[in-house]
Amino acid sequence: MSFAFHRPDSIDAAIAVAREHGASARFLAGGTDLIIQINRRRIAPEHLISLAGLGLDTIGETGSEFVIGAMATHDAVVGHPAFQKQLKALTEASAVVGGRQVRNIATVGGNIVNASPAADLVPVLLTLDATVELRGGAGTRTLPLDRFLVERGRTERRPDEILTAVRFDKPPADSATAFLKAGRRKAMEISVICVAAHLVSDGKARIAIGAAASRTLRVPAAEAIVEKGGRAAFAEAGRIAARQMSPIDDVRASARYRRLLVAAMVERALGICADRIEGKST
Amino acid sequence: MSRQPLDLTINGESYQLMVEPHWSLLQVLRRELGMTGTKENCLEAECGVCTVLLDGKAVNSCILLAEQARGRSIVTIEGLGDPEHLHPLQRAFIDHGAVQCGYCIPGMILTAKSFLDECRGHVPSEAEVREALSGTLCRCTGYQKIVEAVIAAARQLNSWPEEAGRAS
Ligand SMILES: Cc1cc2nc3c(=O)[nH]c(=O)nc-3n(C[C@H](O)[C@H](O)[C@H](O)COP(=O)(O)OP(=O)(O)OC[C@H]3O[C@@H](n4cnc5c(N)ncnc54)[C@H](O)[C@@H]3O)c2cc1C
Ligand code: FES
Ligand code: FES
Repeated sequence: MSFAFHRPDSIDAAIAVAREHGASARFLAGGTDLIIQINRRRIAPEHLISLAGLGLDTIGETGSEFVIGAMATHDAVVGHPAFQKQLKALTEASAVVGGRQVRNIATVGGNIVNASPAADLVPVLLTLDATVELRGGAGTRTLPLDRFLVERGRTERRPDEILTAVRFDKPPADSATAFLKAGRRKAMEISVICVAAHLVSDGKARIAIGAAASRTLRVPAAEAIVEKGGRAAFAEAGRIAARQMSPIDDVRASARYRRLLVAAMVERALGICADRIEGKST
Repeated sequence: MSRQPLDLTINGESYQLMVEPHWSLLQVLRRELGMTGTKENCLEAECGVCTVLLDGKAVNSCILLAEQARGRSIVTIEGLGDPEHLHPLQRAFIDHGAVQCGYCIPGMILTAKSFLDECRGHVPSEAEVREALSGTLCRCTGYQKIVEAVIAAARQLNSWPEEAGRAS
């Protein structure tokens, strides 16, 4: 096992290396997934293209949007002052990705491009209607995250495209988000189920669920009944979500248990959002 | 063989090395430099015995390519203190009997250091310490004493006026 290591000094140079080597090249972010896949001999890229030092790690804002650079670490998300109130779910999700050693180096971009159905930040970003920004040989394009994700391990990304950033609108003051994760233990555990919810007091609702299907999914039918029925519909939203998922049996949990979790966690996440909007909890 | 030159800064000293691109930082520390204080076990970021500080933050050196540390500052347990000048965390681990076989302790201490550096200004609760150490396993399972040692070190390191005022 070996590969050539490339350390391009600009985004365009990184894209050029990717174009030259096609399918035999991979971009390297934190490497917490990629290096393990290589060590397990699941993949054997001949070229690794480092994305470090290209200025992709900033978390910024424009008038109406937040923009998280793909190379921002989970640790940087957790420490970001703008992600404490309405956007608290971002902090809640990044704070439970692996242990500290993983969060200090694993990136937001890696969490998205990996396209694991259990990726913790992805459901939160889906509830924020996030878009991803891609830059490749053919130029720059943006796609809704919901369209970018195809299924486990597959996205709409072309091989020479770098995910440069993920963006989403600043949420209104009278809104809230929440993220819940169930694992076999409290810390250092891949999600058995994870749930994100986003509520705005004008009625808008978003619900997304991880580890319950071949990709992270929003549940529009459950969102619709919450938008109509408010708090009284939270339990029903959970039941609808549970029916729409297609969880699997694996070493972590049975499909039946996962469905029960989805119902309970969706109801609870919506309740936390409502309490946060009403100022009953932080 | 396709060794490439790589300059690394480890414990404040600069090293000129020739490394294969796929070598992990752990491999370079232990096999090339003989710095065996950093331990080697699962090689998949699960156990934390290989923890080092990269620009002050704890990372798993087993899944970090040495190339990823180029131009950054690395601290290993060898750089934290020595028998005459123990770091307060090392002193506290000894005083609290937190060391059994000792295998996990370099990683434990560096994980705790990275965490305490972020805590500047407050002594963490037991729950916070347990969460902070969750990526570092002790198979002798002496967690209670380890947690007590970290809190004791935090108290001692905490010479910030705000905290001193609260404690008195
Ligand atoms: C011990 C351990 C525990 C973990 N626990 C969790 C957990 O609890 N929750 C969770 O969600 N994840 C977990 N992970 C998985 C992983 O750490 C995260 O998904 C992380 O965010 C991946 O980021 P990375 O920067 O390390 O990605 P990398 O490994 O560098 O990259 C992953 C993939 O994405 C591609 N890629 C990365 N960035 C870009 C980009 N900007 N543009 C184009 N392609 C890109 C790479 O080529 C590669 O194919 C865990 C991993 C470990 C080792
Ligand atoms: S050897 Fe690196 S975490 Fe176990
Ligand atoms: S002291 Fe033996 S593994 Fe921790």
